[in-house]
Amino acid sequence: MKIYSEIVTVVSNERIADNIYEAFLLSPKISQCSHPGQFINILPSSNWNNIMRRPMSIASQSDNKISIIYKIFGEGTQLMSEWKKNDKVDIIGPLGNKWFDYENKYPILIGGGVGIAPILNLHNYLSKENISNSLICGAKTRDEHFLDHSPKKNIFMTTDMHDFGIKGNALDALEIILNDISLPIKIFACGPHGMLKAIYDYSIKNNYGCQLALETIMACGIGICQGCTIEKKCSEDLHTYRNKYALACIDGPVFNIEELTDAF
Amino acid sequence: MLSSKIKNYEFKNPILVASGTYGYGDEVKDIVNVNSLGGIVTKSVTLLPREGNPPPRIAETASGMLNSIGLANLGVDKYIEDKIPSLNKLKTNIIINIAGSMMEDYLETLEKLESVNSKHIGYEINISCPNVKEGGMAFGVNPKITEQLTSEMRKITDKLIIMKLSPNVTSVEDIAIASEQGGADAVSAINTVVGMGIDINTHKPKLYTNFGGLSGPAIKPIALANVHKVYQAISIPIIGIGGIQSSSDVIEFILAGADLVQIGTLNYKNPNIGVEIVEDLKEYCRKNKVDNISDLKGQLKYYDH
Repeated sequence: MKIYSEIVTVVSNERIADNIYEAFLLSPKISQCSHPGQFINILPSSNWNNIMRRPMSIASQSDNKISIIYKIFGEGTQLMSEWKKNDKVDIIGPLGNKWFDYENKYPILIGGGVGIAPILNLHNYLSKENISNSLICGAKTRDEHFLDHSPKKNIFMTTDMHDFGIKGNALDALEIILNDISLPIKIFACGPHGMLKAIYDYSIKNNYGCQLALETIMACGIGICQGCTIEKKCSEDLHTYRNKYALACIDGPVFNIEELTDAF
Repeated sequence: MLSSKIKNYEFKNPILVASGTYGYGDEVKDIVNVNSLGGIVTKSVTLLPREGNPPPRIAETASGMLNSIGLANLGVDKYIEDKIPSLNKLKTNIIINIAGSMMEDYLETLEKLESVNSKHIGYEINISCPNVKEGGMAFGVNPKITEQLTSEMRKITDKLIIMKLSPNVTSVEDIAIASEQGGADAVSAINTVVGMGIDINTHKPKLYTNFGGLSGPAIKPIALANVHKVYQAISIPIIGIGGIQSSSDVIEFILAGADLVQIGTLNYKNPNIGVEIVEDLKEYCRKNKVDNISDLKGQLKYYDH
């Protein structure tokens, strides 16, 4: 798949929840060919003195635009939050693989924190394709949510404080909504490691198909630096390459849980 | 204006990309005109495939990064099968970086690469990987073994042999001299500098292997000092490496004694940086009326002591 180095224009960059921002970028090339699950590697500013770009999931692609959803976490995201309309930003993408095999089972999508970005992208894609699905969004507090709790639309909110939407965490929400679903399900999730680990264990225990989009430290984003390893299940052959340590940037970021060890 | 030679091999400009920071040239083909570069040094290849070290393998630092990849690579047989055909299509110099843990590993890998139909013009020999116990570092700190390895390889190939030097030694000059005496055509300096980072919340090192190799602009002054020491010690060409991010950085390395340079870590930030620096160097030469950039080699003017 072709990748682009693109200088994109900021269309909007707004705070949508507590400490959480959504930026729309005019990106005629990347927006034409990106898929839910893929990411871009961002230079937060032209005088960025750090070495590493910042990888971010694509939250939407349409009308020549892509969007990202991010939380101010460090220096890079702080700089990003200062982007103004018409600013130019240097990005590389689309990178990585995409969500796959969502056709034959009922998809349950779970996003935690800003891990919601690639999940929202898949949700919108499935809805557009008339593939019914359920969406669960988890956050620490009510203030970090930017979607409405809409059970009628199969969109459910949860918080760690149990003060919004379904009382409980994302997994509690999953168990509650499963009561109303008769079809075999498949889980698609992205979010903090603790949440993903719980979903991993739950899916293994209940024999549910499950894909996770994983985040790691990353430098190049294109399979060169070998820094963004994800540990996979493998036979104990001593002399292999990318069999035990896959790269999140080109072998992922989306992995089937069958491929992963519980130390992912 | 920018061209130079090592032995009978011509480089159209002095900008190469460092091993491990450009893969095999094909990863960036969509976004960079790789053929504008003076050359590509490919990711270290070893006799057998290697998974590399467990994570975490990289960490960001002030003006640089730490890495401890552990020579993860596909192995020489797969390299020949998968990578040589696409490398053969490139119109720039290809230099294959070889790593090993024993003398025989280096020699057998070299023999395999010599026996295939490939356009590569030479080899950079990694005797300085700090991140693998058996990663050749035993060679890179010992002049005697460096000379022996170099001369054994010299018997196998007429292509360029470039020994990659480590800064993590007491005397980089001794290793450079040993390389020259063993018959190397050039040396490249420097590999990464041993470094460490610690997470104060978990009290864990930032790398699985505790120590790793520091690269990026943070190490440029160390690299310049090493290049200049080597320049004072040997007469074969020198390839300068360490934190280069601009044409003025390149000029500094040439003044210190380098013939060519490699751009490493900065490729992660901007894969096109090498191509941009080539253009900037042309502009520098025009502005400063420099006919041949190689005229600047070692033209450092010392203070009167």
